[in-house]
Amino acid sequence: MYSWEMLSFNIHDGFLEAIVRGNRSGLLTQADYNNLCQCETLDDIKMHLSATEYGPYLQNEPSPLHTTTIVEKCTLKLVDEYKHMLCQANEPLSTFLQYITYGHMIDNVVLIVTGTLHERDVNELLEKCHPLGMFDSIASLAVAQNMRELYRLVLVDTPLAPYFSECITSEDLDDMNIEIMRNTLYKAYLQDFYKFCAKLGGATADIMCNLLSFEADRRAVNITINSIGTELTRDDRRKLYSNFGLLFPYGHEELAVCEDVDQVRGVMEKYPPYQSIFAKISYGESQMLDKAFYEEEVKRLRLSFEQQFHYAVFFAYMRLREQEIRNLMWISECVAQNQKNRVHDSVVTIF
Amino acid sequence: MSGQTQRLNVVPTVTMLGVVKARLIGATRGHALLKKKSDALTVQFRAILKKIVATKESMGEAMRASSFSLAEAKYVAGDGVRHVVLQSVRSASLRVRSHQENVAGVKLPKFTHFVDPAGASSPSLTGLARGGQQVSACRAAHVKAIEVLVELASLQTSFLTLDEAIKTTNRRVNALENVVKPRLENTITYIKGELDELEREDFFRLKKIQGYKRREVERQMMAAKLFAEEQLAEDLALKRGVSMGATTNILVGGGDKDEDIIF
Amino acid sequence: MAGRSNIPANNSALIAIIADEDTVTGFLMAGVGNVDLRKKTNYLLVDNKTTVKQIEDAFKEFTAREDIAIVLISQYIANMIRFLVDSYNKPIPAILEIPSKDHPYDPASDSVLSRVKYLFSADSVASDRR
Repeated sequence: MYSWEMLSFNIHDGFLEAIVRGNRSGLLTQADYNNLCQCETLDDIKMHLSATEYGPYLQNEPSPLHTTTIVEKCTLKLVDEYKHMLCQANEPLSTFLQYITYGHMIDNVVLIVTGTLHERDVNELLEKCHPLGMFDSIASLAVAQNMRELYRLVLVDTPLAPYFSECITSEDLDDMNIEIMRNTLYKAYLQDFYKFCAKLGGATADIMCNLLSFEADRRAVNITINSIGTELTRDDRRKLYSNFGLLFPYGHEELAVCEDVDQVRGVMEKYPPYQSIFAKISYGESQMLDKAFYEEEVKRLRLSFEQQFHYAVFFAYMRLREQEIRNLMWISECVAQNQKNRVHDSVVTIF
Repeated sequence: MSGQTQRLNVVPTVTMLGVVKARLIGATRGHALLKKKSDALTVQFRAILKKIVATKESMGEAMRASSFSLAEAKYVAGDGVRHVVLQSVRSASLRVRSHQENVAGVKLPKFTHFVDPAGASSPSLTGLARGGQQVSACRAAHVKAIEVLVELASLQTSFLTLDEAIKTTNRRVNALENVVKPRLENTITYIKGELDELEREDFFRLKKIQGYKRREVERQMMAAKLFAEEQLAEDLALKRGVSMGATTNILVGGGDKDEDIIF
Repeated sequence: MAGRSNIPANNSALIAIIADEDTVTGFLMAGVGNVDLRKKTNYLLVDNKTTVKQIEDAFKEFTAREDIAIVLISQYIANMIRFLVDSYNKPIPAILEIPSKDHPYDPASDSVLSRVKYLFSADSVASDRR
């Protein structure tokens, strides 16, 4: 079935796949995490990390370390790797790689728009943007005062333009709208990404559609749970669900009317893949849900490395790195705040 | 003039003595009252002190819990959530109200926190897609921390105010005890002394006049007695036929004549 | 005469914060933050780029403002401007030193607790704590 890929894949993308698989082996292992969890201070963490690929990025940091510094430097490494891969990539892999960053781009746009609404300094805002989601005209976002202007002046030149055309109807911007806008954008992005992957075909489509479906379903569940008790109406809620994934469309109908966590659970237990996730959580508890979802995601991402000749490894690698950075942040927060008994609560080991 | 010998500059009269005595009574009563107030304040002060130390401990707990919940929120919702929060600040929805509480005449400030409904709607949709629950848990933890902090702030302010009030009261107590009262007492002794002195002078004067009068009377008595004796002698002489005057005259005349005779 | 100093019965006062980014973020989440028309904030975010001068200015400004009832300041920041904090003796706004996550709370250097210790012997405070 995939035989033609084997023939042609390596012509363009073999080098990068080799690189990403090489990078993959640089991810922290269980043994590394065990060592990190034993650390007493942030300096110990730095020492342990210096033996890993993060070493060069952290070695010049002066001593009182902060968790934010560690996270920043680790993100920097990810960005460097990403840029390296992007430079080498051919079509359609380069487009694929760019798609991966659109999520951060949406976050950055939303951040700048929020800041602009509250009249903050643009340079200050730019510093806070996620480096993976930067694009050239981002600074000029600050001039926009309403959605139409924002679209016309800035966003039309960015890859995000098609997504914005959907939510351009909301004229005035406030806190509520911005959060809805962010999620509408994200929905459009996921759908677009899904379509793109399906178009690529072959193993890429197979694996990516699976991963993106999971992402979409997770968002649907999270939006449902988090919007319980807020001003978000049912119709609005339904509009934020992506139109693909395992839950689409019947699960969405049911989720849209859920009023508490246990109802959500009732809906989700009808779907075998999610049954196991919800089985881990006791009734009425929703705090650990995020972690359960993260674990499931990591499991799925990890599996994508089992096949060869497809693009999903790049997506999986980026996501795993992000998860790793989250883990590092968690560990260093725990160490910094002397809450070492909680270290194991949220660390999702990858390999 | 040292503190001990100080006294008020008054005219030492009985009226003044009455006035000063009244003042002394007033000062003593005031002293007792202030002493009581100071004791009451000290009791309050000690209680507040204990509470402060206890609340400081619980503040440590609350702060730890809240910063940890922030770490949880950041883990789930991503690091970006803090920027969202920082950027979307508009006007405070959590404010404090201050009012006064009266403890033994000292006005202590008390803070209570309240949620201002007029404040901007809190960004309740933050982290809609991921970690909204952690964000709200974090918010709850921080509100709790604020509760403790506000309580601590009232205690601490009360502590400072009471500290100052106790110092002032003690200063007044000491001033009354060590300056005002001795001064009044000194004045009273002084006035009493002066009055006694005056009295003694009067007495002495009276005594003097009395003595003078008595001497006068005695003299007159003597004169009268002498006169009576003379009278008596004259009577006797008349009875013998020789007048006293004649004898005397002879003697006197003889004396005149024998001027040169020595003996 | 603190007993006589007028305490304004203010019905809605603010809480000012001088702290590191995470602490500020947390309290802003709780709804403490305020930005007025002139874009004056009631919080100061201290990172490694913030100078001591800026902290001093913010501290002076917050303590002089009428609408602030409580000033929360991270202890390690308070240590940077210890002389200012120690010389401050007005009842309102109240200065509160709070622990920050990277710096465990040290009761010894708290200006109020040290005053407590000054007033009472150290062991009485220690026994109070128990």
